[in-house]
Amino acid sequence: MITTKRGRALGALAATAVIGITLAGCSGGGTTSGTDSADAGGEYTFWDPYPQYDETSAWAKVIDSCATEAGVTVKRTAYDTSDLTSKALLAGQQSSSPDVLLIDNPVISTLAEAGILTTTDENGLDVSAVAPNLISAGEVDGNTYGVPIGANTLALYYNPEVLKAAGVDIASVTDWASLTSALEKVTASGKKGITFSGIGTEEGSFQFLPWFWGSGAELTELDSSEAQSAVQLWTDWVTKGYAPNSVINNTQTTSWEEFLTGDFAFAENGTWQKAGAAEAGYEVIPIPAADGGAAPAPTGGEFLSIPVQKDSARYAASQKIVACLTDTDNLVATDNSLNYIAPTEAAQQAQLAEDATLEPWIDAVGAAQGRTGDNLGTDYPVISEQLWTAVQASLTGSQSAADALAAAQSAASAGLTK
Amino acid sequence: MTTTRRRWFDTVIGLVLTGIMLFPIYWMINVSLTKSGAMRQDPPSLFPFDPTFEGYEAVLSQQLPFLGTSFVIGIGTVVLTVVLSAPAAYALAKLRMPGGGALSFVLLVAQMIPGIIMAMGFYAIYLNLGILNSIPGLILADSTLAVPFGVLIFTAFMSGIPNELLNAAKIDGAGNWRTFRSIVLPVSRNSIVTVSLFAFLWSWSDFLFASTLDGGGSLQPITMGIYRYIGNNNQEWNAIMATAVVASIPAAVLLVVAQRYVAAGVTAGAVKD
Amino acid sequence: MTATETRSGSAARGRGRGAAGPEPVAPAAGAAPRRRRLKGHWAGWAFAAPVVIYLLVFYAYPLVRNLELSFRDYTVRSFIDGTAPFAGFDNYIAVLSDATFAPALLNTTLFTLVSIVFQYSLGLALAVFFFRRFPLSGTLRALFLVPWLLPLLVSASTWSWMLNSDSGVVNSFLEAFGIGQVNWLTSPQFSLISVIVANIWIGIPFNLVILYSGLQSIPEEVYEAASIDGANGWQKFWRITFPLLRPVSAITVLLGLVYTLKVFDIIWIMTKGGPGSSSTTFAIWSYRLGFGSALPDLSPAAAVGNLLIVIALVFGFIYIRAQRRLDPS
Repeated sequence: MITTKRGRALGALAATAVIGITLAGCSGGGTTSGTDSADAGGEYTFWDPYPQYDETSAWAKVIDSCATEAGVTVKRTAYDTSDLTSKALLAGQQSSSPDVLLIDNPVISTLAEAGILTTTDENGLDVSAVAPNLISAGEVDGNTYGVPIGANTLALYYNPEVLKAAGVDIASVTDWASLTSALEKVTASGKKGITFSGIGTEEGSFQFLPWFWGSGAELTELDSSEAQSAVQLWTDWVTKGYAPNSVINNTQTTSWEEFLTGDFAFAENGTWQKAGAAEAGYEVIPIPAADGGAAPAPTGGEFLSIPVQKDSARYAASQKIVACLTDTDNLVATDNSLNYIAPTEAAQQAQLAEDATLEPWIDAVGAAQGRTGDNLGTDYPVISEQLWTAVQASLTGSQSAADALAAAQSAASAGLTK
Repeated sequence: MTTTRRRWFDTVIGLVLTGIMLFPIYWMINVSLTKSGAMRQDPPSLFPFDPTFEGYEAVLSQQLPFLGTSFVIGIGTVVLTVVLSAPAAYALAKLRMPGGGALSFVLLVAQMIPGIIMAMGFYAIYLNLGILNSIPGLILADSTLAVPFGVLIFTAFMSGIPNELLNAAKIDGAGNWRTFRSIVLPVSRNSIVTVSLFAFLWSWSDFLFASTLDGGGSLQPITMGIYRYIGNNNQEWNAIMATAVVASIPAAVLLVVAQRYVAAGVTAGAVKD
Repeated sequence: MTATETRSGSAARGRGRGAAGPEPVAPAAGAAPRRRRLKGHWAGWAFAAPVVIYLLVFYAYPLVRNLELSFRDYTVRSFIDGTAPFAGFDNYIAVLSDATFAPALLNTTLFTLVSIVFQYSLGLALAVFFFRRFPLSGTLRALFLVPWLLPLLVSASTWSWMLNSDSGVVNSFLEAFGIGQVNWLTSPQFSLISVIVANIWIGIPFNLVILYSGLQSIPEEVYEAASIDGANGWQKFWRITFPLLRPVSAITVLLGLVYTLKVFDIIWIMTKGGPGSSSTTFAIWSYRLGFGSALPDLSPAAAVGNLLIVIALVFGFIYIRAQRRLDPS
């Protein structure tokens, strides 16, 4: 008896809930379609990959104030980075692209290829102030599809205490040979050498590229002897125990967490960790090239782009919003909070004036190069996938560096001619 | 005497088994309390001796409203799933119409469609209906995880209901609908609970539909809250794990309570039969 | 229990369902039952109508879309403007002749079979165990469900945390027993085993709950009768529990199979299908083609997804055949 009564009560509760939801849904649906048709009222949509910033964050406020300046309002939606690409394609297919899209730079060439993005000629953005090596990731076949909000790159963090205990002078670390001998000393002293991310995703290629490029290899020829030497360098570190086995599956975050234990002498990681590194007393040098000097590292960071709309009159306000977000003051504020380096000379100087320790990073970003540059465009994702596959095969010992890279080159060529 | 002792012996074994099963959960809690500098310590520390509550502070200050949304969506999914699938299962198990086999077949195939393709389909449909970023939309989408499951499970259980029970009702002049309502449903209590449980759990832990269909909503489920701690370059594991812990506590309590309720219902039913 | 009285009626109905043509006339059947059966058909479809409509509205489009993707040659551009040329079986041929196909097939088979065997047998053992209704059994059984409350992102990440080569708790436990470092996630020999273990863990609650409610629907009297006949626990399990649980077991295994075939998150988060393709299943492969790099390759991805649907269809067919064979008895 009791149970049936309670069951009925639960049922009633559930029924009320459903009715409530339906009602709420109706009103919700109403407002959504209302805003869709209210183009003239001026609500602009803005997608970014910064879910960590809610509506009270400085980032959200900058967007709002830029929108106000452009005489419109903005509805901002933040997606997870990995989600945003497919979301942008899906929206493009349904002709419901956002007015402004902030997206990871290697994706720009894919979206441009898909015909979702407008060029700067069409939308009237001025990108002349942006450093050429940074804008290159947004260029496909002579057209520019966006403007970087900021840039980051990779460098070699080190733990001075571990090095001191092992008797290594950081000034001696200038090329691969001296780095490897430093790792050897550190390992002999009972500490751990270096950690990086060799995971089988774009992150792995991103981390491998400074060594790849630093060997003199080029992405158009994966099986060169230079490329082999770079893969062999990483492989030897793992087999000799200078790098932990977990690097094969490490994301950049995992690798950083390993470094934070204080056991490691070196960690390859990005600009975004600089605040945390300073707090922990870690310092940074550029990643050395094989024969000395700084290796070119890949640029990271997001691009602001203006997707194609049915109503081309919307570009004017979108362009104003983007121009406002990329003016020097806003760039400095945004890039400081993101731990990025600004993409323009003027903004970089302003950043440097506030914080002199940024100097090595500004140099690193200046020497960095875009992954999709050299007009690789949408060839890059195909090549990159083969590159990380080869690195993984060699690190696990399932193939030699030479075999893995030969297989990668033939797979990449096959993928590109298709 | 001996049976009591054996029963308690069973409890001890049960505790050990549950302990093994829940060890990963313990580990998750451990990580949620570990400072980021100690997360990848080698060897790892088995207890969070020097705990940090940063993750929980972040979660409690930002995530609680998401929990309510998840509950509403979970309950909505349960109701929709049971309402849709129980009658269909009755038809498949007891009314045995021609083409029923084909229907079961389609239900099986339906479950094989990759979630991402389903989500893409829903996105297109919802965009046109204007119900993107709404709770009913998400309930509808989440129910697709559970409806085919519900029909198949209900069918399996309902085909175990003795036909003479139904025939007796028919002889008393009850139509199909009354037979279904007053005999089949009450007898199927166990399977209703089972199906509801899974419908709830699936919608509670759904990520894909939430992110595709409710990415821009003002009312988002708790799983979306986790995204806040996954930046484009780094993840805040303290907060991610803490969100999972905070999200699972109320639902776990609900499970244990539901468990009691179900157990009571079953014994009551047994006595009545 | 008056099972024998109406058996002939139910047998006729059982057979009637299979035959499309004129139905075999059951001994007691005349014109009236036939009419009733016809009425039953209409009533059956009336009861099933909401689900049929639901299926048509929500599943037909994605299913057709997935087929269409696989029979055309989509690039990112033609995905947007919808001008992909018809490609026939080209995508399927490309997938079948890909170097990843053979390892992916093997991995999918191993992953699915081993997972199912362990999930089902452990789930059943636990269900029988918890059915003994000892103190706290209900609460403990509910706690077994807690893994399901976690988003897969979190539970799979926790597993990869525990199985980390250097700082994982599993290796530190093994080291305490003098066993050296095992590269659970980063060596081709172990990565598949690791993801299978995690998947079994996630699947146990599902099997436990369904099989437990299956046990609940076995009438108490059957066991009492067996006890009077002097059957011991083992005999009762094999002679009563297991056979009477067969319909529930069949659907549990079938659903487990369907869900295991499409498991994606766990593997993706733990190993990304690697290293190499050592833990790549069809589901992972499909995702990797479609969304693994910045340049989606949607058509082959859909083709791999459809292969999975075909595999599930085969098993579904076996299930329905088996069910039909069981039915008339």
